[in-house]
Order: sequence, then structure tokens, then C-alpha cells
Amino acid sequence: MDREGLQTLTKIAGACLVIISCSGLGIFASGQFSQRLKNLEQLRQMIFLLKGEIVYGRSPLTDAFERVGARGRGEIAEAFKRTGQRLSDQPGEPFFIIWQEEIDRIPEKFPLLEEDRQKLKDMGEHLGYLDTEQQERTILLYLEQLDLSIEYLRSHRQERVRLYTSLGIMSGLFLTIVLV
Amino acid sequence: MLVENKDELIKIFSKRIRQILSRMTIDFQEVQEIRLRVGAPLIMIYKNQEFYIDSQGQLTKDETRAYVVEQEELRETMEYMSSYSLYAFEEEMKQGFLTIQGGHRIGIAGKTILDESGIRTMRYISFMNVRLSHQIRGCSLPVMPYIYQGDQVLHTLIISPPRCGKTTLLRDMIRQISDGWDNHPGQTVGVVDERSEIGACYRGIPQNDLGIRTDVLDCCPKAKGMMMLIRTMSPRVVAVDEIGTREDLEAMEYVMNCGCKLLATVHGNSIDDLKQKPVIRRLVEERIFERYVILKGGGQVGTIDQIYDSRGTQLYRSSIQTMESIRRGTGSRMSDRAYG
Repeated sequence: MDREGLQTLTKIAGACLVIISCSGLGIFASGQFSQRLKNLEQLRQMIFLLKGEIVYGRSPLTDAFERVGARGRGEIAEAFKRTGQRLSDQPGEPFFIIWQEEIDRIPEKFPLLEEDRQKLKDMGEHLGYLDTEQQERTILLYLEQLDLSIEYLRSHRQERVRLYTSLGIMSGLFLTIVLV
Repeated sequence: MLVENKDELIKIFSKRIRQILSRMTIDFQEVQEIRLRVGAPLIMIYKNQEFYIDSQGQLTKDETRAYVVEQEELRETMEYMSSYSLYAFEEEMKQGFLTIQGGHRIGIAGKTILDESGIRTMRYISFMNVRLSHQIRGCSLPVMPYIYQGDQVLHTLIISPPRCGKTTLLRDMIRQISDGWDNHPGQTVGVVDERSEIGACYRGIPQNDLGIRTDVLDCCPKAKGMMMLIRTMSPRVVAVDEIGTREDLEAMEYVMNCGCKLLATVHGNSIDDLKQKPVIRRLVEERIFERYVILKGGGQVGTIDQIYDSRGTQLYRSSIQTMESIRRGTGSRMSDRAYG
């Protein structure tokens, strides 16, 4: 093969790599979007369990968090378990501080936006305070916010997934054209 | 005694009080009460004596050295002792107490919030009394020969002024009957523990040893609980603390008519005292109880004073034996008078 042929082959290989990686990025972004939706749905299920433990089971937060954490999966379930464990160790810190710290320990790469994390932290501010009715109201308020987020993500999922994927492919093609 | 783990116990207090108590070198087995009041000294009842606790964790009789409890510390303590979940103790708070792990009882007082049905909850809790759980194994041994007829337990009523050890005695009687005492086989005992005083249940598990054949219905109204136990757990003996209402009387009659034996306690000084009480009077007059165990007030906790049968015949009289002496192993078995 002559030099020119080799150059063309390299260019084609480079172009393919650029297109593949950009498309990959697009697919990854759309995957993150779908995963965030899944996580929020899973979180909603866990919050429902928490509500049941607190309102019907009258379990203290220590038990409620440990049990719900044991029934769930993933990073959020782990955060629940850790919170329950720390509460039963009674370290002498308010619940809200422990809860915030444990939410902060959820890895940054885990598909939850800062906004989701903040809302989850805020729910903890009024948990444990006053009577069962107050717990129920606090949890219901959070569930309402969660439902809104889930609804938004669901209604925009198709277009966002398509957008991120095609943006990835298109940007790959564009870069290839510019570079070649 | 249940104060086996000092660290577990002091975890219920606010951080500052925790530090003070952790510095203390005294034997926590001998601590009876720790009292917290907003703006007042931190007090401990130790070996039947009242002491102040200073900021270094030393017991003192000098009030000026005492550590003064702040409102925030009570709020914090309430949060920790309820495992950050006051809502989970709503029913207990209505009655003014919480039972925590280890069976320790925390009496609380503050501003009560009322609704149509009575006390709804309590807020601004400013007074707290942590009563450390103490069970005295063997304190009922002097009574046991008198409450059996063959292998049958007799209907027994313990009469005692407040704070004289009637619940402690009842608890040990339950354990002896349940495990089997002397050559008598163990019997199934059902306990209705309305105020969690007998079993001191924490999350449904009795923290006091009530024997291997004992079923406990915790925080359940006595009258309803007795009926439930009969229907569901088929006990041979039913034990309840502090009877007094008309509903209790009806439930007790139901228990007795079902062929179960009853162990109960009531406040009073003598059988004559009971005759002044409109509800209990009927039980005495109809000779429903077959044994009356009377504890003596005024002296040391747990002095068994007299034992009577249903006709009022005195079976035993003594003022020497105390639970304190039994606990220390210095008491002598009651053998100065033969049964009957």
C-alpha cells in the first residue's frame, strides 16, 4: 500500500473513532437520563415503604430506615441503611445532620441531580418532629415533589433520549467533517 | 439488675450530660434514679440517697456545685431516648412515660395538650425521671410456699403502698411460676402489662426475665388484654398490675370463670383498706382471692409483712425479710411459720 492510501485509511479510522465516541457520549447521556428516572421511581417506592413503616407501623426512624434500606437496592438503599445504623448507634447528633451527611455520601457519579439530592435532604428536616400526622404530611409533601419530577422526566424521556443520541451522532459527524 | 451496660444507658442523654455521666466512677448497679429538671440541679438517687452531680461527674451534697440542666439538654435528651422518633411513643407519652432498651422507664412531665378524648400529647417537657430497671431474682421465694395448693397456683392479690416493691414481687412470682418452682412444674403465664412495668418490653421483647413460659401483652388495657390472652394464648395463670376499675373487675371474673388463676396487685395498706374501695370491696367480700400478700410501707423496699387466706386468716407475719437483703444474699428463707 502506498503512503497516500495509508493516510486515507488512517483518516477513515480516525473519523470512525470520532463518530463512535461522540455517539457513545450521546447514548451515555441519554442512559443517564433514563437511569435518573429509574432511580427516582425506586426512591419513590422506598419513600412509600418508609411512610408505611412510620405511619402504620409506628416504627422509630432507626428501624424504619434500616428495614426500608434492607428491602431496596443500590446507592439510595445503602444510604437508608447507613442512616438507620448511625441512628441506632446514637452518636449524639441531630437526625437532620446524619441524614444530610449520608445523602452526601452517595457517589457523585450516581445518576441523581443536585436538585434531587437537595429535595431528599430537605425531607429529613422535619422527620421525627412532632406526631405521626406531621411525619405523614412531610413524607406526602416530598412524594408530591417526587411525582412532579418523575412526571416531567417521563413526559420528556422520549424526546430527550432521541435528542442526546442524535446530538452525539451529529456532533461526531460534524467534528469529522471539520477535522477531515 | 439490668444496668449491665453503662455506655448503652448514658447514650440516651444529651451530649453534655453524657460526658458528665461517663466520667462517673460509681457502680451504676446501685443507681436508682436520675432526675433532670430545667434550670435545676442534676440529681441522682444512689444507694437510696439523693445526691447532686457536679460538672466533673462527682456526687455531692453541695447544691452550689451541682450541674444545672438547661432546656435544650432536655429537648436533646428526649430526641435521643425516643430514637429521634417521638411520634413512635405517642401512646406512652399520653401516659407520661417511655420504656427504653434495658427496661429503664423514663417518666416525663411538661405541658399536656388536650383534645376531646383526653390527653393528646405532651410538649415543653421540662421534667424527667430516669428510673433504672432493677429486678430482684428470688425476692418472691418467701411467698411461693403460700400461693400453691398442690401444683395449682392460688388466686393471689398483692397489697402494697406505692414504691414498696409490689411490681418487683409480682415479676419474680411470674418468673418462678413460669419456670417452675421447687418441685412444681412450670405453668404458662399470660401477663397484661398495661404500663410496661412488669416486663419492661422494648420493641415487644421483655427486658426483664419473666420466665420461659410467659407471654406478654404489652401496653394493652388490662381488661381487654385479659380477655385477649384467654382467647389466644390459653394461659394457666394471668398476671396484671394495679387493678382498680370496674372493667378490670369484670375481666378478672371472666379469667377466673375460665379456670385460670390470677395474680394481681393493688395499692393499699391492708385488707381493710380494700374494703373502702367500691370495686375491690366486692372481690374481698366474695372471697374471690385465695391469698393476700401485704407488703409493708415505710421501711425498706420489699418487706413482706403479712399473708392472709380468703377468710382473712393470717398465714404469715414478718417484717424482717426485705428484697434488699435477698438481693444481697443476706436474707433468710421464711421458714419460721409453717404453711397453713
